[in-house]
Amino acid sequence: MSLFVTINNIDKIFSIPGGDDYIALKGINLEIKKGEFVSLIGHSGCGKSTLLNMIAGLDLPTEGIITLEGQKVKDPGPDKMVIFQNYSLLPWLTVHQNISLAVDEVMKGTNSSEREALVEEYINLVGLRHAIDKLPKELSGGMKQRVAIARALAIRPKLLLLDEPFGALDALTRGNLQEQLMRICDEYHVTSVMVTHDVDEAVLLSDRIVMLTNGPGSKIGGILEVDIPRPRRRMEVVTHPSYYSLRSEIIYFLNQQKRVKKLRARKVSNLARHGLEKVNLELGYVPLTACAPMVIAKEKGFFVKHGLDEVNLVRETSWRGVVDGTVGNYLDAAQMPAGMPTWLTTGGYQESPLPVVSALTMTRNGNGVTLSKTLYEKGVHTPSDFRQLLLDSVGKSHTLAMVHPSSMHNLLLRYWLAANDIDPDNDLNLKTIPPAQMVADLKAGTIDGYCVGEPWNLRAAVEGVGFTIATDLEIWQGHPGKVLGVREDWALQYPNTHIALVKALLEACQYCADPKNEQEIREILSGRSYLSTSIEYIQLGDPNQYSCNLNNSVEYAHHLFFGENVNRPSRTEHLWMMTQMARWGEIPFPRNWVEILERVCRVGVFGTAARELGIEVNYQRQPIALFDGSKFNADDPMSYLMNTKIHRNFTVAEVHLDGQRLSAA
Amino acid sequence: MLLSSSSPQPFVVIDNVSKVYSTPRGPYTVLEGINLTVHEAEFICVIGHSGCGKSTLLNMVSGFAHPTDGFVQVNGKSVTEPGPDRMVVFQNYALLPWLSTFDNVYLAVDSVYPNKSEAEKRSITRDHLAMVGLSDAVDKKPTQISGGMKQRVSIARALAIRPEVLILDEPFGALDAITKEELQEELLQIWNDHRCTVLMITHDIDEALFLADRLVMMTNGPHAKIGEIMTIPFSRPRDRDRIMEDPQYYDLRNHALDFLYNRFAHNDTE
Repeated sequence: MSLFVTINNIDKIFSIPGGDDYIALKGINLEIKKGEFVSLIGHSGCGKSTLLNMIAGLDLPTEGIITLEGQKVKDPGPDKMVIFQNYSLLPWLTVHQNISLAVDEVMKGTNSSEREALVEEYINLVGLRHAIDKLPKELSGGMKQRVAIARALAIRPKLLLLDEPFGALDALTRGNLQEQLMRICDEYHVTSVMVTHDVDEAVLLSDRIVMLTNGPGSKIGGILEVDIPRPRRRMEVVTHPSYYSLRSEIIYFLNQQKRVKKLRARKVSNLARHGLEKVNLELGYVPLTACAPMVIAKEKGFFVKHGLDEVNLVRETSWRGVVDGTVGNYLDAAQMPAGMPTWLTTGGYQESPLPVVSALTMTRNGNGVTLSKTLYEKGVHTPSDFRQLLLDSVGKSHTLAMVHPSSMHNLLLRYWLAANDIDPDNDLNLKTIPPAQMVADLKAGTIDGYCVGEPWNLRAAVEGVGFTIATDLEIWQGHPGKVLGVREDWALQYPNTHIALVKALLEACQYCADPKNEQEIREILSGRSYLSTSIEYIQLGDPNQYSCNLNNSVEYAHHLFFGENVNRPSRTEHLWMMTQMARWGEIPFPRNWVEILERVCRVGVFGTAARELGIEVNYQRQPIALFDGSKFNADDPMSYLMNTKIHRNFTVAEVHLDGQRLSAA
Repeated sequence: MLLSSSSPQPFVVIDNVSKVYSTPRGPYTVLEGINLTVHEAEFICVIGHSGCGKSTLLNMVSGFAHPTDGFVQVNGKSVTEPGPDRMVVFQNYALLPWLSTFDNVYLAVDSVYPNKSEAEKRSITRDHLAMVGLSDAVDKKPTQISGGMKQRVSIARALAIRPEVLILDEPFGALDAITKEELQEELLQIWNDHRCTVLMITHDIDEALFLADRLVMMTNGPHAKIGEIMTIPFSRPRDRDRIMEDPQYYDLRNHALDFLYNRFAHNDTE
């Protein structure tokens, strides 16, 4: 497919009464291939219709240039047909006359019988044979829009532009028309751009979905590829493994835009008190059993005890939310998957390094690999059974899910697969989906398994839809799970607040590790504000009567919250995670890995916090012992990386970090 | 099941109802053999393709239409005519364009409570406009406010006279997605606080899953019937994000999609 439409660095500025300018769009770049179907989605006022109008030539950009087949778009024309929400049919003409008017006007060079044949063809195409002589007022809204589609396509435009074409129709009529439009676009290879605010419509119809941020100065906030094969049928599309994750990705984006708008409107000032630079904190977390220390610090008053009077816990549905909150600087700190500080620091997010530090490991263990009951029934009980199944099912792809590229789940799952001679990218698909969606997807059969934290492994077993084939006890006993992460610039600006935060959370970790408190913690976590789930799915400690397996008893992958070598950030561990993320191509392996580790691991902050609490910190550097017996040499991570049996083509590069170089931490 | 502990009395009873219209081409049966029992304070959504007779069905509860066969009862009494105990909110708002938002609501309050003092009636009007967040727009005319605000006035007007049954005929169909979500949340909040019985027509599965206790799915007309009734088990108060985290959400959504697009697919070109 060749480049067909290019949108090059477009700005659109409107003059508003009073002499001011309103910047509607800023720096829009987009290329559309021939035959592609692209949707533009965003909130009202994000400039999506403005962008469409500029592609149509109905409006001109203030800066930048749009081309169609190499020609600059300067004015509207029959090569770029637009379909509007309100149909725009001439009320005194019949269906046939409305269409033939356009055909006769545009195709003057052809003879009338050819033109008539064309009109007939397109009337049949949209199924309006029986209504050919009706006036628009005799037609339903859906039928009117069919006429508009037939009229637009009959003159064979190069580009079909749709501005919320089905917005005026009820949701069910809309569904029928979407399928018809899709069929026509497939059949005639129509290149289309559609403005919509209907998420399902965008996923169903598009090859790519362009998400626009809120104005003023709207930008492209993200582009999603819809990897669902064509021809598509609605009911098949909704059961495709990508469907609900794409859908939730867009809903997440739109909600995030709403949230950013609210945050922009709210002006908060820093409250300094008790010798702390800031006591009003927004802390992000994802509702998992592992969020216990953060929730307990809030509910049992540890934050307040350490002077942090106004802590607000911000519940995020996915790790994506934590990343956006950290990058967007509206979270002060967050519970993060162990690899996330390094991942952000080395440019895992949009290839722009953002230094993030960690001074506390809050949990260890608590993860498992779950496979579906269907696989269990096919005799897959061990990793080698699984490998054999993958080998035997050539041509049928299997999908496993994890929660974030930087999470321990991804790294452990990939490590475990690779150690069992399964290539995690070539022998199966790995998808990122939010934790809470895992069980639903497993049940629906859109995924075959996942690696996630509790309560989701236990839950699959309790609900009888899956079984735990391995827990982290069998992969890497004692691996770091969730850590406290804050931006480095935040840590520099609020050093005493940072220490107070670590103290409060460390005390909460200690509280969580005491078996006396187990029942209370489970009750708090299961409540509506947090996990909002049945208490039976939340297990702490080591309850052997709980099994994550369908038949055989498997030890529950319970969390460690506190203890010797549990909470102190470990450079060795962060380095191992760095090698693994590089191994799978998530980040380049930093040539300056020593510097990166120094900056990420804030051992000094941890030490100060622990001493001030009177907690004795004995730390011994220990080698990492993984189940396959391979040794990790922290002095020579590069050769460790080179010698891994399965890996991607990773790169090694200097990661340049902006900002102040830290003095001794 | 909702309210299962107290085995509640049926509040709205639709008993073996059929509706036949006579047309020049002979009798046309819109609905046939409809049976539905709704409990007090239940939230019911009705979904179905255009022409399935869902508006006709609710019109028979509001008293704007009468069954050809069978009967409709509300709170033990047969429905024979419209009344203030059953208020309707329409998609097109149905506000009087020459009256301010305040006067639109006041007119309804005044006609239902002829014996209350003017001060009382004004206070009821003010409270209900405040409830839908329109205190600052009391003097505006319908032409001066957005579609979302118009629908808020319409909801305030309906609730101000404390109906036993609130009937909503696709109330948010004309609103953009964001406003729609906001109004759904407000409606749910108001219903939580006031707990009247709600019957609502929708074309939007997500809307129904967010709002309703039960979703009534209609087959296609003519001779439309209730095809299936889906119980929506999410606990209340509901939160949109939380519902979408619930694995059941996807099962229910796919089930409803399957009903509407496979089992009872509809071609709207007729």
